[in-house]
Amino acid sequence: MENNIVEDVQNARGDKEYSAGGAKDKDKEPRIIAFVCNWCTYNGADLAGTSRMKYAENVRVIKLPCTGRIDPLFVVEAFKKGAKGVLVSGCHPGDCHYTSGNYHSRRKYTAFRDLLSYLGVDINRVEFSWISASEGNKWVSVINEFTNKIKLLPDNSDIFSKK
Amino acid sequence: MEKMNDKLQNTAKELLENKEVNLIIGFTKGSNPLRMRSVFITDPNDVSKLSFNAHCVQDLAVFLKKPEVKKFGKIGLVVKGCDEKAVNTLIQEYQLSRDNIKIIGVECRGAVKQNLADKGEDSVKQSTVYDKCLVCEVHTPLLYDYLVESDEPAFEINGDIKPYAKIEELDAMSVEDRNMFWQKEFEKCIKCYACRQACPLCYCTRCIVEKNTPQWIETNIEETGNAQWNMIRAYHLSGRCIGCGECERACPVNIPLMLVNEKMARDVFEKFGYKSGVDINAKPVFGTFDANDFNEFIK
Repeated sequence: MENNIVEDVQNARGDKEYSAGGAKDKDKEPRIIAFVCNWCTYNGADLAGTSRMKYAENVRVIKLPCTGRIDPLFVVEAFKKGAKGVLVSGCHPGDCHYTSGNYHSRRKYTAFRDLLSYLGVDINRVEFSWISASEGNKWVSVINEFTNKIKLLPDNSDIFSKK
Repeated sequence: MEKMNDKLQNTAKELLENKEVNLIIGFTKGSNPLRMRSVFITDPNDVSKLSFNAHCVQDLAVFLKKPEVKKFGKIGLVVKGCDEKAVNTLIQEYQLSRDNIKIIGVECRGAVKQNLADKGEDSVKQSTVYDKCLVCEVHTPLLYDYLVESDEPAFEINGDIKPYAKIEELDAMSVEDRNMFWQKEFEKCIKCYACRQACPLCYCTRCIVEKNTPQWIETNIEETGNAQWNMIRAYHLSGRCIGCGECERACPVNIPLMLVNEKMARDVFEKFGYKSGVDINAKPVFGTFDANDFNEFIK
């Protein structure tokens, strides 16, 4: 864990060439990017942290105001930069801080998921979940399950891999 | 054909003379007899240039997004049924006011593939028309102010032809094979953005590919930028694409873009029961939601 922090600081300072795939050569740990909403899932993850619950350290959390703000372009960008998995998570239906952001997001991702799969991206690499601020446990289990799933995926090249 | 052209020209003349419109966009004969090109008419004496036949492939609604055309204010547009759906979608998305457009709908019996027409093909048959004509439900436009009826008979369709058959084929493939297929197709892309320019619904004044702080989509013509561009283009059109097929026709390297667009259109219809360009009063599919939407994929 400590090594990772040092590495991330170095990355942030631009000491090394940045890659969301992480230090590929050193360890083959896949990196997972989680786009979460500010109001529910981020607080859920925070609760997991303050409760000292342990979960897979492959995940990097990116906080955005709402799932409605999480453009599918971000998912594509994460894949392009080398992430093996992407998680999109927000408030449960009916709980959105902005009343309907998650409903709109659900529609978008229903279509986008099918598009990804149709264009040849393994659909197991994207995950969606509703996690509220009180569901630290659920955050831990979703991350762990998703990480395990990602680790089992073959190391195939896909539409985003550079030749 | 003559009767059709006469009616078309008379309607256009009347509109221009009565100052109901300031500009008519229509088709005229090109330099090659089997090619038709667009024409812009402001003078009532020029309406004799207007013409229509099975070689009118271009979707003229594409011009409605241009500022050079918008400045004319009231516009008369000659459209086939499929292209008219683009006008509907533009109205739906507040890009166009219904009061500012006079739709001269023409009854279309199918458009001959341009690559065949260039080799001299002149007959409208099941084997010579575009795939979109085989599944066309709008030979008569859904919305029009004036209708020009066709005097040609409809072409016959017998059961052995399957438009967009490749979609089912791709659906049945494994992820790896699909990936191989699309990788090969997108490899050809030269990022000319002709697909965007030809599309009547790609009207953003600043497209995502032109935004460079940050540069979301790589500008070089290699992976991963190619896949990214094609994916985002398709996503921005899912639930909106009306299936005119202009992107695919404009593509200089023949990427089968309609396979993606048509697949997304089918998908949106299956999941949300929405077809684009059918009703000008309907809300765009991604501009609205339902509390009972498809939820199975979310944990």
